[in-house]
Amino acid sequence: MSTQTSLNFRANAAKAIKDAPLRASMRNAADTFGTRRTSAMSAVDFEALREKASNIRMNALDNLPAYLEQFTTQATKAGATVHRAHDAAAANQIITQVLKNHGVKMAAKGKSMVSEETHLNEYLEKEGIEVVETDLGEYIIQLDGETPSHIIVPAIHKNRQQIGKLFADRLGVPYSEDPQVLTKIARKVLREKFLTADAGISGANFAIAESGSLVIVTNEGNGRMVTTVPPLHIAILSIEKILPSLRDLPTFIRLLPRSATGQAISTYVSIITGARKPGDATGAKELHIVLLDNGRSDIITGEFREMLKCIRCGACMNVCPVYRTVGGHSYGWTYPGPMGIVLTTLLTGLKNSHPLADASTLCGACNEVCPVKIPLVDLILKQRVNKVSQGLSPSTISLGMRLFQTAAKSPFLFSLGERLASMFWPIMRMFGGKDIVGRLPHPAKTAFRRRFK
Amino acid sequence: MRVQLFGTCLVDSLYPEVGEAALRIFKKLGVEVSFPPGQTCCGQPAYNAGYHEEAKGAAEHFLSVFTGADPIVTPSGSCAAMVKHGYPELFRNDPKMLAVAKSVAGRVYELSQFLVHVLRVHEKNLTGKGKVTYHSSCHLTRMLGVREEPLLLLKALKGLEFVPLPDAVRCCGFGGMFMAKLPEISIALAEEKADKIISTGADTVTGGDAGCLMNIADGLKRRGRAVKVKHIAQLIAEGL
Amino acid sequence: MSANDTVSLFLENAAKVAAGTHRVDDKDKLKVKVAEIVAKGVSVFCPQTTELENVVAALFDKLAPDYTSADASVEEVTAAIAETGSIVCSSAKGKAVQSSLLPSHHVAIVPREKLFATLDDFFAEYAASPPTNITLITGPSRTADIELNLVIGVHGPEKLDIIVV
Repeated sequence: MSTQTSLNFRANAAKAIKDAPLRASMRNAADTFGTRRTSAMSAVDFEALREKASNIRMNALDNLPAYLEQFTTQATKAGATVHRAHDAAAANQIITQVLKNHGVKMAAKGKSMVSEETHLNEYLEKEGIEVVETDLGEYIIQLDGETPSHIIVPAIHKNRQQIGKLFADRLGVPYSEDPQVLTKIARKVLREKFLTADAGISGANFAIAESGSLVIVTNEGNGRMVTTVPPLHIAILSIEKILPSLRDLPTFIRLLPRSATGQAISTYVSIITGARKPGDATGAKELHIVLLDNGRSDIITGEFREMLKCIRCGACMNVCPVYRTVGGHSYGWTYPGPMGIVLTTLLTGLKNSHPLADASTLCGACNEVCPVKIPLVDLILKQRVNKVSQGLSPSTISLGMRLFQTAAKSPFLFSLGERLASMFWPIMRMFGGKDIVGRLPHPAKTAFRRRFK
Repeated sequence: MRVQLFGTCLVDSLYPEVGEAALRIFKKLGVEVSFPPGQTCCGQPAYNAGYHEEAKGAAEHFLSVFTGADPIVTPSGSCAAMVKHGYPELFRNDPKMLAVAKSVAGRVYELSQFLVHVLRVHEKNLTGKGKVTYHSSCHLTRMLGVREEPLLLLKALKGLEFVPLPDAVRCCGFGGMFMAKLPEISIALAEEKADKIISTGADTVTGGDAGCLMNIADGLKRRGRAVKVKHIAQLIAEGL
Repeated sequence: MSANDTVSLFLENAAKVAAGTHRVDDKDKLKVKVAEIVAKGVSVFCPQTTELENVVAALFDKLAPDYTSADASVEEVTAAIAETGSIVCSSAKGKAVQSSLLPSHHVAIVPREKLFATLDDFFAEYAASPPTNITLITGPSRTADIELNLVIGVHGPEKLDIIVV
């Protein structure tokens, strides 16, 4: 487990910046995804599509209780058992209970960021249930006892040499740094797990109100394995993942993979409606759906509601200059990058995460690529306002800002400040830190205002 | 024609030569320039740090200084964006101030915007020299939508060889208070920007925001490269 | 767009994501094509629930009793979508969607009349009461989890062939 916390963002980041292999991996990922996304989007009318997607998501949020009700009714009718979990602990308890009722010893798990949010694996392992991550990236980091650093490519911070060594150490296979060879090793090990697992645990990209269906988008096929091969399937997802109808899905199929990996569509889009029915040869015999709230019902009523439109594509992180420099672990919680700044603060509280609000240059690259038009920059600014009003901004900065306001309102004081800065610059440099004041040029002896003729 | 020049605090105290260049451009083109003497800072540092009460103080002062009907021109995309978008946001619950803010917002131009759209400087015969690359500052491009104007101006400088900057739209890491709050990241981004600039073989890098250029200059210094850093106003003033 | 253009677009899009694409005129040509595509001597799963499946099943001497142990699976699919180059497998009519997942070679037979032009056309048909499982499949399984290097064939098939009849 990563021991980094959001409160230590600056120190985490400073450490990451010195990690040359990490920096190289992050640059490669951000550049590759950025280029692929741009080229994939050129095939569609991005602005029109994201306007449509944003409206669909907003409508879903505006009517969330009704849609959740409809989803629950329809999924139940299709043979699923739907559970509502108020918080992470409740979700973990529900899942453990279902697994114990079925005498499950080992569960194969597909990628789920929500389960990262609840620390499900840790919880299940304490309860004596083995959980095997089956997404290749998740499998790699599970072998190394780490957490994801990217929501789409969880092991993006590791290079092939590190993965080769990890496989050799943990799986007793000969060392190789060929991605092809390493992938085939994982295929073999995990195939065995799929066939012998007592249960499959998955997340879901969307839940469809009209039909009670779950939609799961994957490339590797592990998502299909965990939802169709074991006799029991448990899906965990957060309540805002609702779409009204399967008719809304095409818009998101067009946007999500293009935004995430630059694919026109992911290899597999599975739509699961209930458990196996009489006459079916497909589907888990029992399907449990855990809908996690974890604070979202409150978020939906407030000024950050648009954040819940998020479809977890990762495009905002791939273009974020800060994320590409410091990597996902620096953010100290489940979700990194611009969406992570906002969501982490909403879900864990400003008190536990306020340094993240500063982790943006406000460059706006995230706003430009968001497929559901979340105004991330505005939301980050709002969090900064809240940080100040809750007294979480350092008192030195608050004092400085009061002085700034006084000076900004008085041309005399402002000009005096400029002159003093110029005069006492060597002293300011000495105390201002070489990385802050030391990076500014010497103020002009005569300011422009006094040169104007 | 008359314009009001908003110098910005960075130009005023750190880069007066940029203000002087803007002045020279206007004088050469016969534009009468006034410099409202009461001007200070637009308040963006406070606004972006979440200190909106303090930012309001600066904004009210700005609005009281820049009166009249003349266009307000500033050699900064970021400060122009603050007045254009930040002020209406600050006063969204104050109808009287909101009306003032909106009317002032309608008069604000970033320099290259004004030079291209109003004075059509890009159609004039200008001269330039050297190999120049251009960093497109974030607020200038993404908040003001000024993408082509600086490039049009650079292309109008005959004798100047323009080389495109790879990933020109990526943030240089300045970010206002960001450079002070998270200097390690700011430096890393400035160095990355410097590497891209060096890769172009340009002898000069230009842009439309003194803050970004300051961070870029620091990045280049850290890389030990003597690439000149000039505001686009300086290149145009030299070429008119 | 003519029906013929839709088929071409479908095959073009499927080929872009590393699927083998084929087009045959009738049952006899289908038999020839399948015989050509499926490696000799491997164990093949073929559900034999449709006429076309019955036609091709006769080709194989080693028919696997179930998909779990088969090397290849040859089946008629529920639908296909031209916009994305996807084939669609579903649990309708007692089909096992897993047969398109576990064997390392998947051969999908698409009757031309089951081809939809767009995602919207397809989902309009299934929105109200979908079967237990619908899976859109676009190319063989893949990952880019190691340094973003594309590797074909992770947990699902390493090879996908599509034949439009």
